[in-house]
Amino acid sequence: MSDYIVEMKHITKSFPGIVANDDVSIGIKKGEIFALLGENGAGKSTLMSILSGMYEPDEGEIYIRGEKVQISSPNHAANLNIGMVHQHFKLVEDYTITENITLGIEPIKRFAGLFPYVDIRNANRKIEELSKDFGLEVDPTKKIADLTVSMQQRVEILKVLYREAEILIFDEPTAVLTPQEIDFLLGIIEGLRNSGKTIILITHKLEEIKKVADRCAVLNKGKLVDVLDVKTTSVNLMAQLMVGREVSFESEKVPAQFKEEVLKIEHLTVKNEDGFEVVKDVSFTIRSGEIFAIAGVADNGQVEIADAIAGLTKVSNGKIFLEGKDITNESIRNRTEIGISYIPEDRQSYGLFLDFDLSTNLALKQYYKEPFSSKGILNKDVFEQFGSKLIDQFDIRSGQGIKTQVRSMSGGNQQKAIIAREIELQSPLMIFVQPTRGVDIGAIENIHNMMIQQRDQGKAILLVSLELEEIMNVADTIGVIYNGQLQKVASSESLTTNEVGEYMMGAKHE
Amino acid sequence: MDTIIIDGLSFALPLFIMAIGGIYSEKSGITNLALEGFQGFGAFIGALSAVLIANTSGIDVENLFYVSFLFAMIGGMGFSVIHAVLSIKFKANQVISGVVINILALALTTFLTTQINALVFGAASDKFRLGVSERFTIEGLANIPVIGAIFTNVYPFEVIIVVIAIFAWYLLYKTRFGMRLRASGENPHSVDAAGVNVSKIRFSAVLISGLLSGLAGMCFAYSISANFSSNIYMGYGFLAIAALIFGNWKILPTLVACLIFGFAKSGGTFIAQAMALPSSFTDLFMILPYVLTLLLLVFFSKSNRAPRALGEIYDKGKR
Repeated sequence: MSDYIVEMKHITKSFPGIVANDDVSIGIKKGEIFALLGENGAGKSTLMSILSGMYEPDEGEIYIRGEKVQISSPNHAANLNIGMVHQHFKLVEDYTITENITLGIEPIKRFAGLFPYVDIRNANRKIEELSKDFGLEVDPTKKIADLTVSMQQRVEILKVLYREAEILIFDEPTAVLTPQEIDFLLGIIEGLRNSGKTIILITHKLEEIKKVADRCAVLNKGKLVDVLDVKTTSVNLMAQLMVGREVSFESEKVPAQFKEEVLKIEHLTVKNEDGFEVVKDVSFTIRSGEIFAIAGVADNGQVEIADAIAGLTKVSNGKIFLEGKDITNESIRNRTEIGISYIPEDRQSYGLFLDFDLSTNLALKQYYKEPFSSKGILNKDVFEQFGSKLIDQFDIRSGQGIKTQVRSMSGGNQQKAIIAREIELQSPLMIFVQPTRGVDIGAIENIHNMMIQQRDQGKAILLVSLELEEIMNVADTIGVIYNGQLQKVASSESLTTNEVGEYMMGAKHE
Repeated sequence: MDTIIIDGLSFALPLFIMAIGGIYSEKSGITNLALEGFQGFGAFIGALSAVLIANTSGIDVENLFYVSFLFAMIGGMGFSVIHAVLSIKFKANQVISGVVINILALALTTFLTTQINALVFGAASDKFRLGVSERFTIEGLANIPVIGAIFTNVYPFEVIIVVIAIFAWYLLYKTRFGMRLRASGENPHSVDAAGVNVSKIRFSAVLISGLLSGLAGMCFAYSISANFSSNIYMGYGFLAIAALIFGNWKILPTLVACLIFGFAKSGGTFIAQAMALPSSFTDLFMILPYVLTLLLLVFFSKSNRAPRALGEIYDKGKR
């Protein structure tokens, strides 16, 4: 027989409107780290969902250890020793680590030989041993709600190992981690391989593949492009195959020309709904022609800073000045008119009306003004002209032009539409919160170029991002936030990625 | 003093067992406003079977309460299938489903009661007469000052309820089923990923709430009202929901809440009688439990936390 532990042959799977996998065949050897590389929507996750029993393929065959199988459910996959570490953790926050890991296969003892009960104590011990064996130390009695993201991920990995998985699928495991945590995780993954497990790594981050993977399959628009030997292939070639054209990794930019001060934050403090201070006494300024980036691990207060400036969150202490004017208590509309453009983190709930057409969405910040409306009546012709103009200017691609329902557009193009709308306001301050989240490499390049272009035209730009690489790439000044406090503010040239990472973890501060 | 404790307990315990049913349903993630309807319909089936059996066999209807409890539980459970199917299988809005079920129960049982009375028994009546269940007193224990009242004039159903409540606690917190049920209300995706069928768990949870509510309704019918009529829909189901919310979806604190309601009710009656007010004023004291609900709501709703996935329609594909 073949020397493959997993073989997927001619897999085709379509959903209404798209073919997610089109005749894909891959073979994975026992004891290797096999990477699946592709942009969003390339079909990586679908392919692995088929392997882990969540979807059934329309066509094609799967062989596990040389035997033909039809994987009908995640349970069935677990019986075949296949386990998936999900990107979105599937954990019960109110339960302890042990309760989460054993959920579904709880060990049972009988009280007085009659009443069955879940034997947590025994399970605790077993999980502690297991976690030590693989270098994933956890305290099994802790609740998930008290754990950091990377610890939660450990629990997800232990969940799979507890079910005695031999074939482990990691779905974008590093998306939520800091650089140090990524290094640790990649170490764990290598350790798992060395102890004989087979690893499938879904990712779109090339440097991770280069670091740990043995072989790599590249998918593009549902089709298998190539299977590469990682050691002998350059990162550039992998990127080209993935996107289907040449990509530049570093945005080109001329040195920044800082001019007058645009935004000034003084001792800003913001409380969340529970009255807990999520932003503590933060002060900084952004000048015209500057990209100021806030780096930090998720949920350390960076989004609240952006929201406070845009007016979405109430400020509990401190002041915000825009071009010298105190806007701390202005309404959102007044702030927009005084000069703030805002690209929100969650573009689908805050940035767009998904069921409205594109021209309406593009006019959202100006619809109430002449010439978009006069005496309270909307002028649809102006909406359409304006929409068509922006679509041409910013190359927003959609099925039916200005009449397209925004819901049907791709994430990258939805984001382009928001950015176009906000740039069109010509505000002196632009706030970008996670502008490239969930968009693919081609669109990321485009968005970065637009930001730099706006900077060169003299805008002040605040960038909030969890992608450290993005920050190092486009920012002129970096402020690192940890636990609601700015740990360090310095020019991007004076900081290395690792230093920023340490500040992000709170390991280092001034 | 003794009457306050005796009457308070006999009201609080049925309320408690109904609230436990609500806890099961809501802990599994299904909002359940239909307790009111379940208890009414359960009591209807229980009362109907008791009256029918009494009519055919000649046994006195007051001696049939164990049989009627059994039928009430089956009836409540059967009626709860509607809520389970609507909100789990057809993914209907759980609040609307609950409200509609309450209206349906009231209309249906009132109609059926008059029709059955007319057609089967040839009587023009809108109620099934049941009488009041026997009571017993545990000698010795009953002589202890103050606490003794707990063991005086006890309805047998109070004992049944305590036994069931202990079992319900064990099932919810100590067994596989309970662990999975509570997880379904917090994060159904994790339960699904563990290879457990979320719909099945939620279905059984709603049926349990129907079963326990049916029992509670029958207790009310055999004690407070001494008959089955549309008077059974006094809002006790909603009071049970209030109790479980004050109890933070936990069984023991819910018991405390139910006892407070029970003593507020019996205390109100006691004060009204002691002051010898005209009957129109006694009604004023009967609102005591409900006023208390409003007050408690002000103090408790902040610190309480509902199950995270409560009321959310579970869709496998969504993340």
